This record gives sequence, structure tokens and C-alpha cells, in this order.
Amino acid sequence: MEEHHRRNQILTVIAVGIGLLFLYGAQEYATSYQIRILNNCALFVILAASYNLINGVTGQFSLEPNAFVAIGAYTSALLTLTPAEKQLSFIIEPIMWPLGVLHAPFFISLLAAGVVTAFVGFLMGFPVFRVRGDYLAIVTLGFGEVVRVVANNTQTITNGPLGLKGIAPHTNLWWSWGIAIITVFFIARLVRSSFGRAMKAVKYDETAAEAVGINAFWHKMLAFTTSAFFEGVGGGILAHLITTISPTLFTFFLTFNLLIMIVVGGLGSTTGACIAAIIVTFGGEYLRFVEEPINFWFIHIPAIPGMRMVIFSIILILMMIFARNGIMGTKEFSWNWVLNKIKPVKIFLRKKP
Amino acid sequence: MDFFTTKNLTMKFGGLVAVNDFNITLEKGEIVGLIGPNGAGKTTVFNMIAGYYPPTEGAIVFQENIIGGKKANEITKLGIARTFQNIRLFTELSVVENVMIAYHCRIHSTFIGAVLRLPLYRREEKMMYEGAMEYLREVGLDDLALEPSGSLPYGKQRRLEIARALATGPQLLLLDEPAAGMNPNETQELLQLILRLRDNHNLTIFLIEHDMKFVMQICERMKVLDYGTTIAEGTPEEIQNNERVIKAYLGEA
Ligand SMILES: Nc1ncnc2c1ncn2[C@@H]1O[C@H](COP(=O)(O)OP(=O)(O)OP(=O)(O)O)[C@@H](O)[C@H]1O
Ligand SMILES: [Mg+2]
Repeated sequence: MEEHHRRNQILTVIAVGIGLLFLYGAQEYATSYQIRILNNCALFVILAASYNLINGVTGQFSLEPNAFVAIGAYTSALLTLTPAEKQLSFIIEPIMWPLGVLHAPFFISLLAAGVVTAFVGFLMGFPVFRVRGDYLAIVTLGFGEVVRVVANNTQTITNGPLGLKGIAPHTNLWWSWGIAIITVFFIARLVRSSFGRAMKAVKYDETAAEAVGINAFWHKMLAFTTSAFFEGVGGGILAHLITTISPTLFTFFLTFNLLIMIVVGGLGSTTGACIAAIIVTFGGEYLRFVEEPINFWFIHIPAIPGMRMVIFSIILILMMIFARNGIMGTKEFSWNWVLNKIKPVKIFLRKKP
Repeated sequence: MDFFTTKNLTMKFGGLVAVNDFNITLEKGEIVGLIGPNGAGKTTVFNMIAGYYPPTEGAIVFQENIIGGKKANEITKLGIARTFQNIRLFTELSVVENVMIAYHCRIHSTFIGAVLRLPLYRREEKMMYEGAMEYLREVGLDDLALEPSGSLPYGKQRRLEIARALATGPQLLLLDEPAAGMNPNETQELLQLILRLRDNHNLTIFLIEHDMKFVMQICERMKVLDYGTTIAEGTPEEIQNNERVIKAYLGEA
């Protein structure tokens, strides 16, 4: 079915190679501010691509990623902190056994974050996918809040509102982009497989999907659990990037940010989710000035924290009204498409004397 | 043991009895019709057989499996496929993808195998694609394989829906008004197609249709429903001359 398979594989390898060279350059020469933005881009690529799997590809509008990211962040942080550091942090109540003595390298902690979050997602799927549409959104929204409240109150596990501090800054560009590439690779391949087709069938017409033998429930579970896995891993990346986590970090705002990304990218397109994750991250940085005090000659606008969120919300509303397909619609990146776009340019260049 | 039997199948929606004590037995290889005026309960019978409505009362037995109460996808996997009265294709996807989706329930790969493109999955993906193209060739849509299915004209959408149902590998095929919206030419082609598919795939076919000429030509026997109750059954000739059927269709004065 796929034309020029070999050529496309080579192009992919070359593109990844160039990307890695770029990362090497950035890691060596970029400022710490630039590196932080690039890390954020990778983080949001991971989160948006996995959120899109359940919301966009499978069409199950759900609002829980902040919960999954929180679970992943706490899981991996609790594993990489040394027993001594944990004893020092937990001042109000001592940490629960065996969390206090567990200790693991960064990679293992990321894997554990994925597995624990996927397991929670799996269990959560049973009650959640008994409902559809608006109810699904409400139930998952509630779940997101519950996780945050639990994190606030289980003093012996999460250290409550104090959160976890002094997490080792393991996340560098290699880790963040390495995980981002693996995530996107995994999800894109899943979507392009027979399982992805079945998920799309569930999205477009669940009744017809059941009629052709697709178990809609299990395919929703597959999308949801896979999404939870990678959001958990993303949580681990986040924790070791900002080195301090507390429940206030994982509010609905995080989910809302991701929602903007997948809508801007085009619900259902993994490519779109990645592009939008990068655009929104950079855009967010660029728009920082709107939250600072502004002076035009005689007009003085005071600092308005949260102004960026207002702008993003307006963009979201406008997109829902005027450009519901987002950047990519449900289309995906493909080398065949790129080369077809380049072809006229090549012919044009050749014709010139 | 019979190939397919329903016993006292009844469906009530609140106070409305949509289907009342419906009994039928199908032999392997038969083409049987289900007719009746609008709202008689025909589609409701299909919805019970295909697992969309749990019957209020009665039993459905298919090849020694009691299927009453099973879910739609499980019943499809047992070998009963259906089409819908109001065509339900995945209109955003291509023609061939629609058929490949129906193959999904027949593969053995796990999702990990699919992501890693393991040899088993690659074989199965090839099998799905080639199999889907074969079904499309049978219904005469292979040259439209890459078109978005929503762009097909009505008659072709109906045939695509049949191809998609076939790709689940059924033994019993339920067709809900397959000739609706077709012109006489297309209807004749459809008739030949259904007979051919029955022979090529050893199918048993149970179909609902309002086009009397079509039903009388294609069915070996038929049942007539009116207000959920079976009012007649027999060969096309017997039905055509049945007093109660004529009354039901013309309405009582
Ligand atoms: N889900 C439902 N809830 C309530 N009533 C229903 C439901 N489905 C069908 N009915 C009612 O049951 C009766 C039979 O409907 P059904 O669709 O089976 O008729 P039909 O014989 O297929 O008619 P047509 O020839 O118009 O397709 C109708 O009165 C209909 O309104
Ligand atoms: Mg009907």
C-alpha cells in the first residue's frame, strides 16, 4: 500500500539525524533559557500527542491529562529522590513505607511512572467508558480534580501541599526529545495500524463499528491506557525538569493547555498535535510581554497575570467557530506529500535557463 | 439442530409492543424475506438478532449458540453480519479502509505487534488489504478503493456496506432494505450480486425490503409483519394471494 517505503525510511533516518545534530548544538551552545523552552516543547509534544490519541483519534472527549501527568510526576520523583532526601522533605508526617526506601535510576523511574499511570488509567476506564459524550467529559474532569485533592491530602505519600523539592534535574534535551520521538513514533504507528483504524471507526460511528465486530469498549481502553502511559512518562520528564512539584501544578489549566494544542493542531492528527505543541509553547513565551506592565507614551497598562490564558482562550474560541479543522485536519505528515509539494519547485528551477 | 432459530422473540418499548412472539427458522443457504408496512417492527427484529436491543422476551439460537443478550460485536464475530437501513459507512475514510476495518476482528496480532510491525502483523495487514480489495472487486468497487466513501453515489454506498459486512466473514447476512433508493437497473444488478455472493460464500440471507418485485424475485420464502405480529408466511405466490397481507398493505376500510 505504501509507495517508496525504503526511500521514506531513509528520509526519516536523515531527518532524525539532523534533529539530533541540532540538539547537540543546542545542548552545547544555547542559553539555559533557550534550552528550557526546547525542553518544554518536547514535554508538550509528548503530552499533546498522547492526549490526541484518546480525544482526537478515538473521539472520546475527556479531560483528565492533568491527573495522569500528576501521577507520573509523583511516581518518578519519589523513585529518584534518595531515602535521605525524602526523610528531610517529609517534615510534617514521615513518608510511608516502602516509598521511603525505594530508589531507582531516572530511566527506571520514567518507566515506572508510565506503568503506574497506565494502570490507574486502565482501572479508571471501566467506570468512565460506561458513559459517552458530555458525561464522559464531566466524569473525567471530576477525576482530574480528585487526583489533585488526593495529592493534597495524602501527606505520607505526596508530602501534601508542600510537594516534593530538590528533584535531580535529570531532564536534558536528550532525554526530553528522545522520549518525545519514541512517543510520537509509537503513537503514529499505532494510529496507522489496524488498531488505529478501529479507533477511528469508533470515533466516526460506534454503532457501525460494533456491527463490523469491533469491541468499542476495549479500543477506547487501549487508547486511554496508552495515552495514560505516555502522559505518565511525560510527568516524569516534567518533574525532573522543574525539580519541584506540588499539587497546584496539576490543575485543570494543564489540561486546558493541551486541549488548545490538539484543537489548534487538528483533532485526530498526531502531526498536528506535535506542530501545535511547539507553536503554543513558543507562542506562550513570545506573549509573555502581555503580562508585564506596558507603557505607551501616556497610557499605562498595569501587569495582568493570566493575560496569556485569555489570549489563548480567544484563539480557541475563534478556531472552534472559523477553523474547526485546525492546522492539519485529520491528515498526517508523509514524505510522499512533502516531495509532491517540492516537485513543482524542482521542475520550475530546472526550466530556468 | 437448526442453523438459526428465534423463539417467541418479543420487544417492548414502554407500552409499545414493537415485535410480538416472532418465530423463524432459517436453513443454511436460504434467502428469506421479511416484509410489512412502515413501522411493522422489521428493523427491530434485526436489531435484536444483531445485538443492539436485548429482547424483552424470547430466545435466539445461532449454530447452537444462544445469542440473546450478547453484544453486537460478539454476535458479528460468531458469524452474523448486517447492513443498516440508513447506510452507516465511515464516510470520512476511504472505500478500502471501510472494508479493512471489518477485517480487524479476524486478526490475531496484538497492538504491540502492530506498533513494532512484527512479521505476523505485516502478514495480516497484507491479508487485510488484499482481502478487502477482493471483496471490493466482487461488488464492483475496486477501482474506487481510494475514494472517500462518503463521496460515492447512494447505490454504490449500499454495495460498499455489503462488502464491508462480508469482510467480517459471516455465515448469516442481514440486509435491511438493500434496494432502497436504487433505480430498476441498479436493483436488478443488486439481485444478481446477492445471488452470486450467496453462492460464492455459502451465505444464508435474511432481508427486509419494500420493493415487492425485488422480494418476490429473490426470496424463496418470506414472513409478513404487521404491528409487530406475524400475519403470514410462505412462498412469494402464497404471500401475494394472502387476504390478510393485502389488507395490511392497503389498510382496512
Ligand atoms: N429505540 C426505540 N425506542 C422506541 N420505539 C422504537 C424504537 N425503535 C423502534 N421503535 C418503534 O417500534 C416500531 C417498529 O419500528 P421498526 O423500525 O422496527 O419498523 P420497520 O418495520 O423497520 O419500519 P420501516 O419500514 O419504516 O423501516 C415503530 O413504532 C417504532 O417507532
Ligand atoms: Mg426499518
